[in-house]
Amino acid sequence: MRVLVALMLALTLAAGLGVVLSRDPRRQVLAMAANGLVLALLFFALQAPDVALSELTVGTAATPLLFLVALAAVRMNRPRK
Amino acid sequence: MSPRTRVALMALVGACLAPAVWSIAAALPPFGAPTGAYGPTVNALGPPLRHVSNMVSAVNFDFRGVDTLGEEFMLLGAVTGAVLLLRGARGEDLADAAGRVAGRRVEPRSSAVVLVCHLLGPAILVLGLYMALHATVTPGGGFQGGVVIASGFLLVYLGEGYRPWRALVRSRALAVAEGGGALVFALAGFWPMLCGQPYFANVLPLGVFRDMLSGGLMLVENAGVALAVTGGFAILFLEFLEETRAPRPRDEPGSGGGA
Repeated sequence: MRVLVALMLALTLAAGLGVVLSRDPRRQVLAMAANGLVLALLFFALQAPDVALSELTVGTAATPLLFLVALAAVRMNRPRK
Repeated sequence: MSPRTRVALMALVGACLAPAVWSIAAALPPFGAPTGAYGPTVNALGPPLRHVSNMVSAVNFDFRGVDTLGEEFMLLGAVTGAVLLLRGARGEDLADAAGRVAGRRVEPRSSAVVLVCHLLGPAILVLGLYMALHATVTPGGGFQGGVVIASGFLLVYLGEGYRPWRALVRSRALAVAEGGGALVFALAGFWPMLCGQPYFANVLPLGVFRDMLSGGLMLVENAGVALAVTGGFAILFLEFLEETRAPRPRDEPGSGGGA
């Protein structure tokens, strides 16, 4: 249990660094989704399955999708190079 | 101030604050130590008083149901605002096609993607329904189940393309689900008042512990939340994805049908 939580905290650190250090917007979105997944696993390891499910659905699926769509919309309205 | 000076300043301030931070961190209770009395109390009182095994739902829908009512209308307001902002300038049209980046080749959808979507779509729908229906028994509930169902619709877009998805996801039905769900939640509070009880008092039969139909009035509130969240998130996805549709399909021959 301790080992699992420690592992999850280390993964959270790595995933958070991934979000901060990625520069390309598309990669940032994917890094954010990965961070949401890791957070959901952390909450699950800390015995909070309800919060884990919320984080999984909103942080890993819904929010990244909205960001991706926003990026796509920006790209489509850009004039041809 | 140059970046180098800023980093040096940050390191200096960090070094000054480090002993204070360390002394506070050392004085914290150990990781995972139970601190509040609320959790154990709810865990002890939930099963005998409300016959439910998921205490998060008991807190959300019963012990602090009015808070959840506020959150419900917060979601309603947020979704309504997003729809007003996004649809306002663009309008709504079923006949439009998905847009694409000018000058980029449209790749045909691979059969592997279609297969995965066909397999996962129904499974995700069932998972969402399960989570929404068993709110008072197992982790999850109307909110989580509703978001899962709403994201399941996206697999239709991914696996079938723009037009089948657009034919399935109708904004009017979603808006009715969204507003109707919130209405069900609010009215569920008035029902006990007709019986001379306080707002949100649990007047319905509580059912059997660990049964799907346990929790009494919580089930009605949860159904309202599930409806509202499914409709709300699906309409949010719809409005965002509509931002990427082709603005004027006739100007660009061959842009229809590609997703």
